[in-house]
Amino acid sequence: MQQFIGGKKKEIHLCQDCSIKIEMPISFENIFQGFLNSIQSMQTNRPAKPPAAPCARCGMTHEQFKSKGKLGCEDCYQAFAKEVEALFKNVQGSTHHTGKFPRRMGVDIRTRREADDLRRQLKEAVEAENYEEAARLRDTLRILETPRSKTGTNEEMQRTFPDEQQGFEGNTSMNREVPHE
Amino acid sequence: MNNPWFTQPGTDEGPVLSSRIRLARNLRKYPFHQKLNASAAAGMVAEISGAVPSDFYKLDMQSLSEAEQKVFLEKHIVSPEFLRWDLPRGLMISNDQNVSVMLNEEDHVRIQSVRPGDALADALATANAVDDAIEATLEYAFHTEYGFLTACPTNTGTGLRASYMIHLPCLERTDKFKTLLPAISKFGITLRGIYGEGTESMGGIYQISNQTTLGKTEEEIIQVLQNMTRKVIEHEGHAREKMLTTHRADQENIIYRAYGVLAYSRKITTKEAMDLLSEVRLGYLYGLLDRPRPTKTIYQIMMEIQPGHLQRTAGREMDETERDYARAQYLREIFV
Repeated sequence: MQQFIGGKKKEIHLCQDCSIKIEMPISFENIFQGFLNSIQSMQTNRPAKPPAAPCARCGMTHEQFKSKGKLGCEDCYQAFAKEVEALFKNVQGSTHHTGKFPRRMGVDIRTRREADDLRRQLKEAVEAENYEEAARLRDTLRILETPRSKTGTNEEMQRTFPDEQQGFEGNTSMNREVPHE
Repeated sequence: MNNPWFTQPGTDEGPVLSSRIRLARNLRKYPFHQKLNASAAAGMVAEISGAVPSDFYKLDMQSLSEAEQKVFLEKHIVSPEFLRWDLPRGLMISNDQNVSVMLNEEDHVRIQSVRPGDALADALATANAVDDAIEATLEYAFHTEYGFLTACPTNTGTGLRASYMIHLPCLERTDKFKTLLPAISKFGITLRGIYGEGTESMGGIYQISNQTTLGKTEEEIIQVLQNMTRKVIEHEGHAREKMLTTHRADQENIIYRAYGVLAYSRKITTKEAMDLLSEVRLGYLYGLLDRPRPTKTIYQIMMEIQPGHLQRTAGREMDETERDYARAQYLREIFV
């Protein structure tokens, strides 16, 4: 099927399941969104970006993902984050899980969620060049993370709350909510 | 403790035959099936088998005959993809056959739980218990934003597919039926034939299920599906009432003739038998057929006339013609 993303015509190959799901909800919103994106891109006139690099963990290439519509491992969600999020928005209508969490994560859930929300807001503030707000958010995030990193015994905790440099310099673990690029 | 869902009277008491929950999960430590090699697959299957509650029995798919595999397919316990897949796989089934876990299907773990009639919440609770048991010892691939990570992004989030099997013999004949699919798909709900994706409907039996898995809680997904199913069933009710007001005698004739063919034919195809069983089910349900009910539920009969079941009963491979004779004989024993 063809889609308009960022003003470019894009051919997506999906398994039967996905294509049925994608084709079904052709809504006014979707068409409108595609239209909006194309206008936005015309205005900014950004040069085309090269496709994402293969997944560092399983070697799944961008082409393979596009042709099969299936991911090779959990890290692929990070490697192809843009495509996956676009797919979520189109097919699922959301990118935010609100259902069950694994029990072993239960205790830390609220903190994780809060930290995730803060990182998202921080990213938006940086993108909007709202540095005052960004500094405030960063401080709040630091307070949220400090007691965790001090205890430092739980590997899982470390993965979720990496120290700041690590967290913002791009890494491959899924639970690090890294701003894209 | 329980009997298999399809033998329970609850499957024969209304338009909803059964409620089904499927949860898709993957282990963090292994790549998904596209990138999984045979030795990793074997290790993964062994690890998960050890984590599934001990009252499940384990089946080695490779050691099953083709007919036995087909029986599981016809019982909706495995998927066609699962049977085609050549890497190590495993199947864990509860004693009553109502809960099963496919190991190494499209996702590492596919938990399925079925209940007779309208009981999605119960089915979810049972599936969740198995999910929790596996998760107590093994770490799932999970993302705080996206939820449970699956091989196909259309399952990401809850990994939940909730579905009802419903009987729509009157609605499927109306023009309204064609407008139904686009209407329910706006709510992220879809309707498929009895054996799922791409299969034609037989015997007026359909599966109605959620398409989207991300952004709603499991309970919300079930609620939407329940509401939409209720609407669909209302339409079935209207179609039935209309038919019975205007064509009652004709419909009774159709039902009794269906009973007659099921009881006396010597050779019958799956499709024809399914359609006749659909009429007979309608007849029993709304008091249009004055004949003793068979001891088996209509859905159990529908399942047992499928090719795999017939061949397993016969204990040998049969070609299509042989099966059509065997099917007629099986039906005569039930209805005469």
